[in-house]
Amino acid sequence: MLSHSRCLTRNFGRSLSAIRQVGTKLTNFGCCLALLASGCGETAASVRSALSVLALALAAPALGDEVITVKTPAFAESVTEGDVRWEKAVGDSVSEDEVVCEIETDKTSVQVPSPAAGVIEELLVPDGGKVEGGTPLFKLKKGAGAAKAPESPKAATAPLPPSAAPTPPPPPSTVGPIPTTMPPVPPVPAHVKMNRMRLRIAQRLKEAQNTCAMLTTFNEVDMSNISEMRKAYKDAFLKKHNIKLGFMSAFVKAAAYALVDQPAVNAVINDTTKEIVYRDYVDISVAVATPKGLVVPVIRNVEEMNFTDIEKAINLLGEKARKNELAVEDMDGGTFTISNGGVFGSLFGTPIINPPQSAILGMHGIFDRPVAVGGKVEIRPMMYVALTYDHRLIDGREAVTFLRKIKSVVEDPRVLLLDM
Amino acid sequence: MLGTFCVLSAGVQRAWSSSSCLFMDPSSPGLVLQSQSTDVFQNLALEDWIDAHVDLQQRSILLLWRNRPTVVIGRHQNPWAECNLPAMRSAQVPVARRRSGGGTVYHDLGNLNLTFFASKKAYDRRRNLKVVTDALRRVRPQLDIQATDRLDILLNGRYKISGTASRLSRKSSYHHCTLLHSADRSAIAVLLRPSCPGIRSNATPSIPSPVTNLTDHAPSLQWEELLEAVVQQYSSEFGLTSSSQCVDPADEALFPGVGSMEAELRGWQWTFGKTPKFSVETQLELRDERPAARCSAQLQLEVKNGRVESCRVEVPATWLPERLSASLAQALLGERFCPHRAAAALSALLRCESGPLHSRLRNLCDVLVAAMG
Repeated sequence: MLSHSRCLTRNFGRSLSAIRQVGTKLTNFGCCLALLASGCGETAASVRSALSVLALALAAPALGDEVITVKTPAFAESVTEGDVRWEKAVGDSVSEDEVVCEIETDKTSVQVPSPAAGVIEELLVPDGGKVEGGTPLFKLKKGAGAAKAPESPKAATAPLPPSAAPTPPPPPSTVGPIPTTMPPVPPVPAHVKMNRMRLRIAQRLKEAQNTCAMLTTFNEVDMSNISEMRKAYKDAFLKKHNIKLGFMSAFVKAAAYALVDQPAVNAVINDTTKEIVYRDYVDISVAVATPKGLVVPVIRNVEEMNFTDIEKAINLLGEKARKNELAVEDMDGGTFTISNGGVFGSLFGTPIINPPQSAILGMHGIFDRPVAVGGKVEIRPMMYVALTYDHRLIDGREAVTFLRKIKSVVEDPRVLLLDM
Repeated sequence: MLGTFCVLSAGVQRAWSSSSCLFMDPSSPGLVLQSQSTDVFQNLALEDWIDAHVDLQQRSILLLWRNRPTVVIGRHQNPWAECNLPAMRSAQVPVARRRSGGGTVYHDLGNLNLTFFASKKAYDRRRNLKVVTDALRRVRPQLDIQATDRLDILLNGRYKISGTASRLSRKSSYHHCTLLHSADRSAIAVLLRPSCPGIRSNATPSIPSPVTNLTDHAPSLQWEELLEAVVQQYSSEFGLTSSSQCVDPADEALFPGVGSMEAELRGWQWTFGKTPKFSVETQLELRDERPAARCSAQLQLEVKNGRVESCRVEVPATWLPERLSASLAQALLGERFCPHRAAAALSALLRCESGPLHSRLRNLCDVLVAAMG
């Protein structure tokens, strides 16, 4: 008899501790049940199993809904109070030990981890509010936590080149081969709200389309001579001027030359006063790709510069753009824009005008093509160029002549020297 | 000067093939490390790495480091309120946010940083500071060195030569402090002032104190001598036998994952995006040239996570039509609180205007951008 009762006591104790682990609510209930069971003379084993089954049945719903209040931990070294800085917000899912907030006390930053996995239900102290050891901090709803909300806004604004631009980037060609190495685009969910940048770009592009009578004329440029010139001089150029000699300077200078020759392309219509504003200076906006997106800084008074001056200016602006140092005056004004879709590998395309200007030159990729030269077929490095212009101001003949002038300068820079 | 920071008292510099060799020497209750790098982000990343990866339950570590000129703000501070970002940009002095609390400090090669790593149980800042004060008293007994209740170290009872900050994680802790050996005090005065007027925030403020260098009072104290004294005092206080070891915080083999920690510390999101919400309220002085005229406008901005959350620009309607000042305010929403970002956003707006309004709008843009530091 003695051994039996001892057995029961031991098992009763074990069952009790099992219940305690599950939830304090059940302790009293479990005790009563155990007492009843022992009183009825049931075997220890069946009591234990009955209790554990009951415990599990009662525990399951309680665990799922349990909301606990997490208190401020005691501070070290007898410090009394600190400021709370929230890392998580109401509704955020947290895992066990994940930092929910930091408390700054006396030059010390103390991390407060979550005691369990769950969802933040309520923050009991405002950000920056003062707490002492033991002050209730936040309420946590324990459980596996809600599925993470799909990261829609972030994925949508993931940088597709270019995204951070306040100016409308000329859309790359819709005709022709797509470059083989496209950057991997993350999957985009169905409905995404437009962010402000995109709204602004959209508005300005539509404005440009609605005011200007836009159309595009094309031509092609034989890049052999300019490539040869570049090859011959690039090392010496780098040595003397400490920057690389590219193709942009040729096109920028050619454009400036042509703009001086055809002032209408450098002018703009003032819709409010119904005037044509002619400008005797040539400020060219050049699209520069930076890690943050497309920026369009302006090179001032290009009509007075030579190739070297232009390369230096482009370089300087590119550096400033990359270091995020462009100022308002760097991007204001501009009488004409040049954009280079060639860096992405475009073959052909229609750029869109950048208001308040009247025309834009689009450069495309340089590809080897068979062309007719002096009655024979030769392989030459060719670039298609496009001029989108405002027909309200610039007539077809002027546009074509303008583009042909650019072509002649780039194909033979001696034209500049001889003022042909 | 950068490479010669590693001063070894005796013995051979062991080549560490992995961090486990470095950190799990069971014979020693502690370790003294000297960083070879003077890049603040690399050094802060090393601190993070040690805090996250080394088992500090049985041992403590002292890390000695210094940085090229940098301004380091505390975890919960506001960089625009604490330092002059435009001046720092032209002087090419970066700003870094550390993970420990406390105020803003200026680091340069004359400022020694000491980080005491220990378990949470063994966290004792006074004991750490005693190592520093005892070391100083030993090498220059004539100097009056005292640690205060606020855990600063004062020279001659007045000048601060060391400030303290620390961080308590789940199981580990670190306490770091500066020690002014020969820093450029004129730079401190210029760089540690607000970037722009009218900032109102509940971020942790810095408490300015008069500072001095040890070399101003003990000109013969060499850098190496100071390091030696501290290392010896630490070793005797914590019962170590091994000498100090040089480490390269950029060594990914020794500290796997340190590179990404460094990248996070260097990023805009950590440095500026972690700023507690603040507002800017200031008056803008506008002017026009032809005809000469002036006007005052009110700017009110709320910045959250480093981005403009709300913006109001109140310009008299006689100066600029309301739609323009409204679209200007609208253009800044969601942009980073940064003069360059603002300039880019506003230039798009400017492009759409022409005529007499253009110059006034342009002036407003310039003044607004200048008010953003």
